[in-house]
Amino acid sequence: MKEKHYKIAVFRFDPLIDTKQRFKNYTIPRNEVHTVLDALLYIRDHYDGTLAFRASCAQGRCGSCAMHINGKYGLACETPLRAGRNVVRPLSQLPIIKDLMVDMERFWEKYESIKPYLVRHSGEAHQSYENRKEMNEIIDCILCGACTSACMMTGLNLDFHGPAAYVTMNKFLKDERDAIHDQRMALVMGENGVFRCHSMYNCDEACPKNVKPSENILEIKKNIG
Amino acid sequence: MKKYDIIIVGAGVTGLRAAIEAVKQDLHVAVISKVHPLRSSSVVASGGLNAVLVNKNSSEEKQDSISEHFQDTMECGYDASNSEALNILVNKAPAKIKELEKWGCLFSRNKDDSIAQRKMGGASYSRTVYASDKTGRVIMNTLYEQCIRLRQNKPDMLRFYDEWFVQKLLTYNNMTCGVIALELATGKMEVFSAKAVIWATGGSGKIYGKTSNSLNNSGWGLALPLYAGASLRDMEYIQFHPTQLSGTHIMITEAARGEGAVLLNRKGERFLESYSDTNSKKELSPQDAISRNIRREILAGRGVNATCVHLDLTGLGSRKIKNKLPGVRELCKTFADLDPVRQKIPVTTGQHYTIGGINTDEKSQTDIDGLFAAGECACNGVHGVNRMEGNSLTETLVFGEIAAKQAASYIKQKHHKLPNTLFFKNAFSEEKNRVKTLLKKNGKVKPAEIKLRMNRAMDEFVGIYRDGMGLVEAAQIIKELKDIYQNDLQVSGMEARANYGLIDAIELKGSLDIAEIIIHSALKRNESRGVHFRNDFPTSKGRAKYSHIRYKKNKIKIRHIPIKVNVKPLLALFGEAKT
Repeated sequence: MKEKHYKIAVFRFDPLIDTKQRFKNYTIPRNEVHTVLDALLYIRDHYDGTLAFRASCAQGRCGSCAMHINGKYGLACETPLRAGRNVVRPLSQLPIIKDLMVDMERFWEKYESIKPYLVRHSGEAHQSYENRKEMNEIIDCILCGACTSACMMTGLNLDFHGPAAYVTMNKFLKDERDAIHDQRMALVMGENGVFRCHSMYNCDEACPKNVKPSENILEIKKNIG
Repeated sequence: MKKYDIIIVGAGVTGLRAAIEAVKQDLHVAVISKVHPLRSSSVVASGGLNAVLVNKNSSEEKQDSISEHFQDTMECGYDASNSEALNILVNKAPAKIKELEKWGCLFSRNKDDSIAQRKMGGASYSRTVYASDKTGRVIMNTLYEQCIRLRQNKPDMLRFYDEWFVQKLLTYNNMTCGVIALELATGKMEVFSAKAVIWATGGSGKIYGKTSNSLNNSGWGLALPLYAGASLRDMEYIQFHPTQLSGTHIMITEAARGEGAVLLNRKGERFLESYSDTNSKKELSPQDAISRNIRREILAGRGVNATCVHLDLTGLGSRKIKNKLPGVRELCKTFADLDPVRQKIPVTTGQHYTIGGINTDEKSQTDIDGLFAAGECACNGVHGVNRMEGNSLTETLVFGEIAAKQAASYIKQKHHKLPNTLFFKNAFSEEKNRVKTLLKKNGKVKPAEIKLRMNRAMDEFVGIYRDGMGLVEAAQIIKELKDIYQNDLQVSGMEARANYGLIDAIELKGSLDIAEIIIHSALKRNESRGVHFRNDFPTSKGRAKYSHIRYKKNKIKIRHIPIKVNVKPLLALFGEAKT
């Protein structure tokens, strides 16, 4: 017979008050919830309104609720609760604001540093069908931060742009309308550039949208070779 | 205190488009948003946006035109659209596509490299521009990318305040002078003074339980302008989406029907054929009729079970689904553990779009000087009483830009005498005390309990079918909940820092007030029109008798404003798309 409750251990830490990070255990009635996000919302609604975490669309499209769940990165809204114990931690490598809410500023800074916008050649040439087709997978990136959080090299080297930024970078490198290909390549050539990636595929495993950041990074490397 | 020329509240498509225009107008801009811009609800929009594009290579004799776009929208909106606003929408739409294209937006394309368009509900032609079924995300990426570019080029002109919660809109002698906002991460409060404010907070669906809206769409965005003296209108018109995934109410985009998906009852019949109002266009009929007929079918016991019917994509083939509807497939796999290539999708109706909103004219001007509103939070009447699929993203782009243009000319024309510092100081300490008082509330009832009861009342009594008795009961429930909120509320935490429970408590007041307004508007309209269907008054009073219901101040005072019903498009104004 199925248990009537789910068990979930949630990372709790308030850096301004707590001296130690800890996990707090909660029990959630099974008929009320399905996903990890349901459980977190249930905790906030019924047990402790101060539990801090981000959530917005609750359907896997906005990227707010990326976290580390049961040993893997994922979106809380997309991850079903499992029988037995569930364990939820915040994204790693980013400062903790409170509980599961991390400071994403560094992540966005890296994203912005790679000039994440199309700079066109003069004229308004439109994109070809073939070129657009190459973008079919890349547009699935929702910049949730899971890949960059999982990347060991990003952890070791704060100046490394990390996989999410490179997925966006590759979107523009692939775009036939872009005029600053060389500038973009110069950005990734340096010491802290794309060759910091040692192809450990942590990013691919972490990506909830199956974007395969490592393949994008490989394509950038090939541009250099 | 922080000073800007203009403050934009909300960073979805409307807010970002307005920001780009405001910077172009040489204004100092602050964009304040409760979530990071790329987490806004706009990213969920899937199906696409309507715009008439001229395909020179087309061999077809009959081609789409701007007046057809006008006519279709009018027809969908039961001739109640504001013809001036609609005129602007259909005329400006093509230029918005061109502009996004210039900024690099990754629209889906035809093999001849032209921009692909699909046919969606209510349209006479393939008019909806899309990016597979992730159109909102792709447009948001493009707009945000352009904002970053502007900011890198002109760092002083554009500033984003991400995860700042706006808790008050400040007015002085019916003139906007800024907002007070709270930084979620730190709990710090700040006064932002500005000469003009653009309101772009989106929908209010979370007043309902069964809704496809994001968690953010609490109704607070409509409540703040109301408290500041703006009026709301057409609040009884709530659009219900016909195909939300059963259980989760995640939207299965109308693009699925556009691409050929069919709706089936338990016997496997295309039941839309048996209702007079969906008999001819079937799955491509206007949303309101499809939603009503799904409910009818379920109530007649012909649903797949007590709550849903089937949306069948199995006839489309895996290739079409992979290319045009990959998002639908992902959603079904993740949230229903089924593959629409082979299996039928259980779908049901649910709240989807708030047609009413902050009353504006066709230039996005509200009742308050210096306050402009656009997008789903606003109501300029463009959608009439039933929004046509694919028109809302177009609306956000067209009127987001117009709002910023109008705000710019307002700022430049008018001699602005902002109130003195004491005014801001007083407003600030008042808000600070309000939060302090809330944090001390240690009654017995948590915000979530009140919200749940509100959601249930709205789902049950203020849904697709309404009647006087049910609405009166709903009004009674909301009244009780407001009492509980006032007298027995429990608020979590000791401080505002990273305290989402506190934010829930603040927003809940707005949700309850807006719920009440929806109910009273629905009660007052004793007829059926568009998405508003009264079982006890099943017919429309006709065009001649049509008037809007408006609310002003926190008093629930109803003003009927008769409108000119202009069913004939001003064809003289239409030429080719002006870009």
